[in-house]
Amino acid sequence: MPTRKGRPWRDYLLFLAFIAPNFILLGIFSYWPLLYQAYLSLTRWDMIAPTKVFVGANNYRFMFAEPGFHRVLLNTAYFTGAILIGSLVIGLALALLLNQRLRGRTLVRGIVFAPYVLSGAAVGLVWSYIFDPVYGLMRVILDWFGIGSPDWLVNTSWAMPAVIIVYLWKNAGYSAIIYLAGLQNIPNELYDAAKVDGATGWATFRYVTLPQLSPTTFFLTVTTIIFSIQAFDIIAVMTEGGPINATTTLMWYLYQQGFVAFRAGLAAAAGMVLFVLLLVITLVQVFIVQRRVHYS
Amino acid sequence: MEVSLPKTAAKTAQRTTVRRYGVGVLKYALLILVAAIFFVPIFWMASASLKDLREIYTFPPQWIPLTPRWENYVDAWNAAPFGRFYTNTLITTAIGVAAELLFGTMTAYAFVFIPFPKKNLLFLLMLAALMIPIQVTMLPNYLTVANLGWLNTYAGIIVPGASVAFGTFLFRQHFLTLPKEILEAARLEGAGHFQLLTKIVLPLSRPIFVTVGLIALVNKWNDFLWPLIVTNRIDMRVLPVGLAYLFDQEGNSQWGVIMAATIFVVAPILLIFAWAQRHIIAGLTAGATKG
Amino acid sequence: MAGFSRRQFLSFTGGAIGVLALAACGGSSTPTTGTSGGGTTGGATGGTTGTTVSGAATARATQSSGPAPQAGQKKVTFWSAFGGKNGEALTKMVNDFNGSQQTVFIDNQFQGNYDETAQKLAASIAARQVPDMVVLSEVTWNRFSLNKTLQELDGLLTKGGVDPKDYVDSLIAEGTRQGKIWWVPFARSTPLFYYNRTLFKEAGLEDRAPKTWEEVRTFGLAIQKLGKPDLKAYAFTNAKNFNAWHFQGNVWQWGGNYSTKSLDITIDQPAAIEAGEWLRKFVHEDKLAYMAPDQSIDFSNGLAAMTQQSTGSLGTILSTAKFDVGTGLLPEGQKFGCPTGGAGLALLAAAPDDRKQAAIEFIKFVNKPENVAYWSKQSGYMPSTKSARDAAEMQQQFTANPNYKVAVDQLPKTQPQDTARLFIPNGDQTIGTGLERIIVNNEPTATVFKAVAEQLKRDSQDIKDQVKDLGLA
Repeated sequence: MPTRKGRPWRDYLLFLAFIAPNFILLGIFSYWPLLYQAYLSLTRWDMIAPTKVFVGANNYRFMFAEPGFHRVLLNTAYFTGAILIGSLVIGLALALLLNQRLRGRTLVRGIVFAPYVLSGAAVGLVWSYIFDPVYGLMRVILDWFGIGSPDWLVNTSWAMPAVIIVYLWKNAGYSAIIYLAGLQNIPNELYDAAKVDGATGWATFRYVTLPQLSPTTFFLTVTTIIFSIQAFDIIAVMTEGGPINATTTLMWYLYQQGFVAFRAGLAAAAGMVLFVLLLVITLVQVFIVQRRVHYS
Repeated sequence: MEVSLPKTAAKTAQRTTVRRYGVGVLKYALLILVAAIFFVPIFWMASASLKDLREIYTFPPQWIPLTPRWENYVDAWNAAPFGRFYTNTLITTAIGVAAELLFGTMTAYAFVFIPFPKKNLLFLLMLAALMIPIQVTMLPNYLTVANLGWLNTYAGIIVPGASVAFGTFLFRQHFLTLPKEILEAARLEGAGHFQLLTKIVLPLSRPIFVTVGLIALVNKWNDFLWPLIVTNRIDMRVLPVGLAYLFDQEGNSQWGVIMAATIFVVAPILLIFAWAQRHIIAGLTAGATKG
Repeated sequence: MAGFSRRQFLSFTGGAIGVLALAACGGSSTPTTGTSGGGTTGGATGGTTGTTVSGAATARATQSSGPAPQAGQKKVTFWSAFGGKNGEALTKMVNDFNGSQQTVFIDNQFQGNYDETAQKLAASIAARQVPDMVVLSEVTWNRFSLNKTLQELDGLLTKGGVDPKDYVDSLIAEGTRQGKIWWVPFARSTPLFYYNRTLFKEAGLEDRAPKTWEEVRTFGLAIQKLGKPDLKAYAFTNAKNFNAWHFQGNVWQWGGNYSTKSLDITIDQPAAIEAGEWLRKFVHEDKLAYMAPDQSIDFSNGLAAMTQQSTGSLGTILSTAKFDVGTGLLPEGQKFGCPTGGAGLALLAAAPDDRKQAAIEFIKFVNKPENVAYWSKQSGYMPSTKSARDAAEMQQQFTANPNYKVAVDQLPKTQPQDTARLFIPNGDQTIGTGLERIIVNNEPTATVFKAVAEQLKRDSQDIKDQVKDLGLA
């Protein structure tokens, strides 16, 4: 977009005017809190006492020295990793299916996407009922295959998969729709060319579809990590981080320390770790993708 | 040889038909399975909302309650002023979504079409906001809102969430794909930036507009934690917070009634979605990931 | 509080001028004033939506604060933590109180569960916009008390005509620190032993609760012999559902403690470990017990023949169980032991004095025998005053339902919980998670409690001196 020469400040002012509402709000309600929490993370404060005691990096030291904390980080990696792989694979599979010329596909697209609009708390409630090892629907379904129902939310190995299943159920439609968009943006000529070259279905998928979808995959990877690491309501309703901290992610830890145990300093430190972690993960992804684009 | 050739051809043709038919059946079977997986839990919510406690705790479970207990809905409605909750939720959601769309399009437009030094850095700064969880902003924002005297007001519920980072990102990605020639032409005819935004850019961005609107709608309608924190009085509460009025401190909850109240929360948004489904899915498929 | 609403008005005006015009428009359409300005306007009673349906329904809405205060009524902002049936019962009492006199109006504002209410109170203290009276649990009130944010009540109670000596001794003792009362009992509960009389009969057992844990085991074996699928003898619960509260009794029964009064951690001492080991064997060697996410549900549905659950769940269990429910005192180990729990009322030190005195009027009202009886009957919480316990209304309740009497009989034998669960941040969850490791994972108690003790010690560093200074007896 060429600019009128000589008066760039006019454009600059206009730019600032356009972004001002958004950035003023972001400043007051996102960046300021972040700075405030960065400061809190260096203090000891129980949210009630009138004074905050400056303790330097003690909260960080305390947190990383806690025997349970590495488990929290592992849980976060487990949860986020499974969600990421799950939403990419399931999302793509659903998109491929829903991209076929099938009767009723519009309806099914709608059904698949519907859970995305529901409140996480409501979803958590109904799934807790579905996972009930005695009265739950899941027991019925497992019964059809002659499998006994595990004690989903009581068992330390099953609680995390249960929470992941629910999160995927709620959000798979979203990745499916995004992938569907990606599929529809692939030019038909590429498929025609592949056909001429005698490529089989699998080869077409491997050498045309997947590479063409890579921007979509990248977009989904970045956003899924950002959003799933911050997942809260499903865990809050279904497990509250239990049993035996099996579903305590960094997000739940932060909530528990800050708003149940009233250790505002420690919670702030956890919040900082979460923020920096996300920032680094995202930047690394962007960096890798840019390099790849650059060399290819 | 002459006879057998068409015969094999017919056989092959037959085989392909059978195979094609088989694949078709398989595809439809998959489609039905997928629909069931995503639909049944929602159905289950509705079915549970018509059960009493004893019916909820029976095995094998009742798919459709023998004697639907419609009183659950009456009980839920009477347990808290849900009419008022609807009004509050509608107001906060509508204004919140409008604000996000307005601020999002303006910011994205500026990032794409108005020159400014180092604006990419500003853009990255904006994206960083996506990585700040609500639990981090909650306490400081409560203090800010309290200082503004906004506790128990719509402003207190809406304003802190009115900024938009993800939506701006989506808008920007879409705006980047718009043909520059059209904009340039309008520009030469003397159109200002505001006119360009409203007359050219927005009409070309309907799908992404719907997408961002839907995401904002879903987030605002379902928001629980923040509205709970900034409101104390029942007449300022929103639907998801209203659900909490049904939970018993000692865990003696009436699940059927709670499920009925849950339906109060999810039904409108499901209906809106069902009604606007075509646009939304078209919007999402058309515009989410370009650029 | 006129200044407050004025400030609010100003901020709206400012907002309308500024970039927040859009959102502030929404704001200005709210019933004008803030936390305690004009009180609950028509909105709460359903006028605003205008439609007949919602108007009629919300007028009947049991949770709304009822009519607005009349001229001259002193308004008291009351943050409560009861949803569901108990919330309805509290709202009725508040409405009755507001209608019964001309001087005080209680504005009852539900703030979520105990934790959420405590969160909001902490935030409101930081923002210096506190309510006047609040419901705090036996755990959450300590934090506010340590920070000296609560009002000492002795003088106010006496002036308001509430006799502190009328409260059940063990209950009021818990809210008394350094000789002063800070927290008065309101929704107090204790754990209670529940058993399935129908199943007991079927198994040929006596119709009574087992007296000792060994007897629980013997009875359990008899239940097990019935050979019913999906039936277990005994249900424990998880950390989410306060298993550390229930297990507090067990620790005492075996002669141990979680901690001393001055917050020295003792959960890794032999007595506590023995209590845990008994539990572990009961679950993993006898295969008689298990962990239920909600033992009330499992018990009422006949999945567990015995359990321990709050007296506050008695009403629901009685109404949902498809069989005859029996209750009893908690079983003994080497001796009897049973903690108190639940919530009480506290006033905020920062509230205006006249409102504090006004709030006492409400406390006096809920202490009336007929109101104690009503609240107790609706919720299953203990009658917290002696006069109410001995009054005719309560006695009727005892005759009508002997199960209620068991809970009240147990009350004099209860004691306040150990400091580790009451004071240490996350103490309840730390202990509860340890118990989960024993019940679910079959880890040896000694190992688990050693780790729990270490965690408790680490987490108690900041508050240890404060608790010591309280000089708890």
